[in-house]
Amino acid sequence: MSRIVDIPAQFDDRGFEQFVAGIGAWPPEERLFLDARGVQWSTPSSILGLLTAGQSIREDKGEKPLLAIPANDDVRSYWSRMRFFEHAADLFELHGKLPRPHRGARHSDTLLEITPVRASEDVHDVVGGIQEGAQRILTGELGLEAKATMGFAMALSESCQNIVEHAGTGGWVAVQTYHYRRRLGRRVAVIAVSDAGVGFRRSLEATQAKRFGDRWRDGTALEAALVQGVSRFRDPGRGQGFAGIKRYLQRWNGKISVRSGTARLAIVPTWDDDVPLVENLCFFPGSQLQVTIPSEDTAAE
Amino acid sequence: MIVRINVARVLREALATPYRILVTRATGALVRDRIELKLTQYNCHAAVLDFREVDLLDLSCADEVVAKLLRSGQAKFVAIAGLHEDLREQVHEVLEPQHLAVTVVNDDAAPELLGSVSEDSRLAFLELQAAGGTGEELARRLDWPAERAASALEALAAQRLVRHDDDGFTLIPFA
Repeated sequence: MSRIVDIPAQFDDRGFEQFVAGIGAWPPEERLFLDARGVQWSTPSSILGLLTAGQSIREDKGEKPLLAIPANDDVRSYWSRMRFFEHAADLFELHGKLPRPHRGARHSDTLLEITPVRASEDVHDVVGGIQEGAQRILTGELGLEAKATMGFAMALSESCQNIVEHAGTGGWVAVQTYHYRRRLGRRVAVIAVSDAGVGFRRSLEATQAKRFGDRWRDGTALEAALVQGVSRFRDPGRGQGFAGIKRYLQRWNGKISVRSGTARLAIVPTWDDDVPLVENLCFFPGSQLQVTIPSEDTAAE
Repeated sequence: MIVRINVARVLREALATPYRILVTRATGALVRDRIELKLTQYNCHAAVLDFREVDLLDLSCADEVVAKLLRSGQAKFVAIAGLHEDLREQVHEVLEPQHLAVTVVNDDAAPELLGSVSEDSRLAFLELQAAGGTGEELARRLDWPAERAASALEALAAQRLVRHDDDGFTLIPFA
């Protein structure tokens, strides 16, 4: 028996929640048949989330899910050039006409294709590899000052390190620019990071749960980490990664959102109408982080 | 003895990477270990960490390399050099909440302080740099009560930003 889960046509943050709700209890008891045939548009975060679902099922020794790939040529081509299928082939039984592997030059909107992050060396390669491209995209396409590049690389590094330091397993990162029509109508650069690890609540539980008592849950764990800068390590230099990312986002009018377990916390700039904290979502393993930097005309607002 | 350490070279020795970037805690810990080893080998009491060839430094790595080295006391006095503007910001952001500070040695300007330093200590450091002298002389020049000058200088000495010996308070001759 397999359970069919539709992947929504608009596979963005909202579509991702619909997808997670479609899976139901985690880990899934039945084999999943993930139907992406109707996908018309997707974000880097949502396709990283899809890989994370496959990774988590594999790590739970579940049956390999089936994935029917998008019928839309543009979406299929986008997933291909983001190297989604290269990674998905290990995690899913793929169905549908696979595009030929993307061998050409990197597309101008892609700063970093989907890249696995397992260890500190991976973070080094990811950050080192995007330096030149980040400069081109942030200053050239988004019109930001050159100094925005350094903070962007720092935000990318600290975001990826969350996987290495806290997840207890591997994860994925991708960096891309796209036209953010729904809320902004302008170009944005997005860092998307996702892992299938223990999540914020379990990572912080040993040192923080007592302090929060009955209030301890995914939402409070996210608040502790993101708002209060709490770390599971007692070292006084810890917990500065998120503080640094927030300072950078404040300067460039950016946004961060982190989903972990059953909650999602966002630090929302004025250009966005997202809700700061959403709780009681359907459970999804690990943590999914998204950093969004808007173009200069938004940053100046 | 004061030793000058090229941090980018230490990075190359520690890690096979084509990038001149100091990112991640693991990299920072590797680099710090090597720096501490050099300090032990040279038996020196002061070190200048030269970041001239470093293109990028993240907060985790800045904490591992600079803040932990300051906290370890492996070198009694530490200064940093060759920091470009963006890297300075990272170092400051790491040191400030931990109440740590470091001397920054500049090529074309006088040394300055980075991190958590009170305004009085900063003024006392500048005055010491400009004209040296005892605590009393410094108090007179700044038009402060003697206790205020003494307290500012003692704070600098406690943060190992100046030396305090029989001759009074003096700057460390990093440059």
